[in-house]
Amino acid sequence: MAQVKSARFKQASEQAVHDPKLQHALAHVMDHFTNARAAAIAADFPEESWESMRERAASIKAHTVERLDYYLDLLDRSVRRNGGHVHFADNAAQASQIVLDIAKANNVKTVIKSKSMVSEEMGINQILEKNHIEPVETDLGEYIIQLAGETPFHIIAPAMHKSRKDVSELFERWLNTAPTEDITRLCVIARDALREKFAIADMGISGANFVVAETGTVCIVTNEGNGRMTTSAPRIHVAIAGMEKILPAIEDLALFLRLLPRSATGQRITSYNAFISGPRNPSDEDGPEEFHLILVDNGRLNLLRDEVLRESLQCIRCGACLNHCPVYRNVGGHAYGWVYSGPIGAIVTPPMTGMEAAKDLPYASTLCGACRDVCPVKIDIPRLLLHLRHQAAEGDGKHGPVVGRLERAFIGRWRKAMRNRQAMESGARLARLFQGPFARGGRIRRVPLPLVGNWTKSRDLPALARKSFVASWQERQARRVKGGEAR
Amino acid sequence: MPEMPAEHPNKAAFLARVREALGRTEPILHTPDHAPLKSNQARQEEKVRTVLARVAARRPALCDRLADVAARASWNVHRAATPDRAAEVVADIADGLKARHVVRTAEDVFTRVDVDGALRREGISPAILAAGRARRRSELKPMAFRADLGIVGVAYAIAETASCAVIQRKGVARLASLAPPVLAVVVEADQVLESLDDFFALMRLEHQKGRSHWAPYFNFISGPSRTADIEQTLTIGVHGPGKVHMVLVG
Amino acid sequence: MQVLEAQGVEVDVPAGQTCCGQVAFNGGFRAEAAEVARHFLDVFGDAERIVVPSGSCAAMIKVYYQELFADDSDTLDRAKAVGEKTYELTDYLVNMLGVTETGSSAEGLVTYHDSCHTLRELHLKSEPRTLIEGVQGAELQEMEASDTCCGFGGLFSVKFPAISEAIMEQKLAHIAESGAGTVVATDCGCLMHLRGAMARRGLKVKALHIAQLLAGSGAEGA
Repeated sequence: MAQVKSARFKQASEQAVHDPKLQHALAHVMDHFTNARAAAIAADFPEESWESMRERAASIKAHTVERLDYYLDLLDRSVRRNGGHVHFADNAAQASQIVLDIAKANNVKTVIKSKSMVSEEMGINQILEKNHIEPVETDLGEYIIQLAGETPFHIIAPAMHKSRKDVSELFERWLNTAPTEDITRLCVIARDALREKFAIADMGISGANFVVAETGTVCIVTNEGNGRMTTSAPRIHVAIAGMEKILPAIEDLALFLRLLPRSATGQRITSYNAFISGPRNPSDEDGPEEFHLILVDNGRLNLLRDEVLRESLQCIRCGACLNHCPVYRNVGGHAYGWVYSGPIGAIVTPPMTGMEAAKDLPYASTLCGACRDVCPVKIDIPRLLLHLRHQAAEGDGKHGPVVGRLERAFIGRWRKAMRNRQAMESGARLARLFQGPFARGGRIRRVPLPLVGNWTKSRDLPALARKSFVASWQERQARRVKGGEAR
Repeated sequence: MPEMPAEHPNKAAFLARVREALGRTEPILHTPDHAPLKSNQARQEEKVRTVLARVAARRPALCDRLADVAARASWNVHRAATPDRAAEVVADIADGLKARHVVRTAEDVFTRVDVDGALRREGISPAILAAGRARRRSELKPMAFRADLGIVGVAYAIAETASCAVIQRKGVARLASLAPPVLAVVVEADQVLESLDDFFALMRLEHQKGRSHWAPYFNFISGPSRTADIEQTLTIGVHGPGKVHMVLVG
Repeated sequence: MQVLEAQGVEVDVPAGQTCCGQVAFNGGFRAEAAEVARHFLDVFGDAERIVVPSGSCAAMIKVYYQELFADDSDTLDRAKAVGEKTYELTDYLVNMLGVTETGSSAEGLVTYHDSCHTLRELHLKSEPRTLIEGVQGAELQEMEASDTCCGFGGLFSVKFPAISEAIMEQKLAHIAESGAGTVVATDCGCLMHLRGAMARRGLKVKALHIAQLLAGSGAEGA
């Protein structure tokens, strides 16, 4: 499985915040996405009809996830009836082994890939390379980060942190091309390099945006055409899908194909949608002779088992929650340390990879709720984050608490102070005594304490008033009674 | 027909774990209550009849809407009153490109829209590779990659999204609409549907009718190949055609 | 208090009150949150209406108590009852009392920061704006991205100070670009954050709780 570096979130996010190049890219791209989304929705739908579409989509996904065993079985039978193979992989290693077995059985030398987040979970490229099979990413952004040896920065804009100069340097180094800052020229270079691979590759690996149970259809959404190329040119097509990607019926696609592109890139529809239900018919002119669908768990059962977190399996990976998240917009994708970033990444990473390593992620949110408002399947992201925080702080029944001693001590103190008014007042008296040396003109500029000290690095803290509000109120009421007045 | 592949050895255990995670011990035996799954073939046929009657009644307006949405989605839209005129438009596109290699698929529409004849009359003699003619399959891939222009028909065109739905059947090569840098799609007025819902209702019926009707591959082409992966700058023509023409007949 | 009393509302401040429990709840410490929340329910259970001058506290009581007490049906019923009679201040003024003007006055441009929980948990967007527009002499000047978080997020601001500060800088820039001399919010968390940041940077913009603006008390204390 791909390495999990989420334990470094704090350091990585601080570096990102202070990286001017990255900040420039984020400032530019994020607004582009959010504006395009808003315009695309406003152009076609009144607010209430968009809202009812989101509700329908959420209920279809919830229905499917609640009956996932049924729909997986239906899907399996449908694909096999179409002549395709279906594999069930419990984890990343099993899924990779299945890919390797297919490749070896067919003497595959070159694999072309269209975007697949599950294959990122598997770290399949490194595994193929170790087995002397050349993997080539064909989505332009994925190709760029493959050359750079990185992971996707954003779920639908994987190389958004790379400038044209970076890309030119990568092409210069790997493809021996002349440097250029002409983006069209850079696209042509990539197109030509990848054309050679399309022509010779024996196997195409794709992801799946949706998988339709009743007809056994994998739906792939792309703009570049690499998804179609990957699933048309080679002799073998392997589609890898998280087990939650299922929709019951092909007619459900109409709704989801309206929601996904608008939420993701702000398009009415993407340039290409391919619908693949099996290998080509013997009479067909072209297309793969073998079709494989690998359905992957890899930690998704941990989400399914938890009645609250289960909702996260409704996700259709549009990236809207990333684009609207004030935290993602400032730290970008890599800080999250694994495959999925932003609010949805903060939810799925701890259960999928282990809470201990990813314990900071549920806290990496201001709980502002902007993500929930734009989610096309209405995942209540703040609620799920709060649920994970609860598990982090108090354990999840199987594992003990993982949050730091500091927070625990802080909340312990707070609880003691808040359980009744007398305790609160005496706490406040203590704090007033303590703040004395630090308060100037009602403000505190520095506190030599953990946590609170983090605040005062960049912000003043208001000093506690000499008297509490309740105390002042009581005095006022007492004066009024004495004076017999009512204002 | 290929043999039905065997069940994966891990399937039963995998499904059992999913069921357990959902807090159930028994599998669900009946089709769940989800409306699109509940419509049997007779009802679906009725639904499709209603769809077809509606689009027939609205045809001129739907053609206008298709042309309008397509133009805004970067299609070059050409309205042709007759099949002959449509063939001339396609020939003009080839001429404008000075196309030397043209790949064309073999949908029904080309028995009415005589593209080959029009190209000859224009005095262009491109190497036409019409898929479906007796020929080795191995020729098709290099030919498609070499072609300057791809000419294809569609099964349907969807006005809502300006999507040309190409369904792979005998004579329809996938690469013809994907590999060449320029694509011309010929759409007949009676192929125009109103919405994505219409299209998928029709496709579900195809599936219900059985394997001989159900195509293992179909796709939408809804505009030029595009990317914004470098600095969010829109660039057309990455892996697929950068220029797309829609020739709407009638 | 002055704002409510000016509308003829009889106001009581229960002496035993402490906190709604949001701090612990958002930290994941639900047992501690529940203990404090029960105390809140005890203290405020008998009130006719509860008016809360902070959107996130109101959201905690109205929305998240139901989550907190989901497995405790007796307390859940009490929490629901209390939640139903709890109002965020602007909600209470505009929707319960039908107030659009409080007779207060201020000077110049006022910009409004949509506190996240006021906007997205309580769905109050027009209410505070209506009240600001009703202040004599004040003119509401929308800032760019008024509905984007200020970066506070409670525990978040001390756990991840660098991110919190980065988000806040963008908010400060939007406030400055609006040209307003006063920024108003409905949440004490946002205000503590904004005031702290503006004081440290020596900015001249005033950050006021909406109650302060409506009481016409200018920069004086709450």
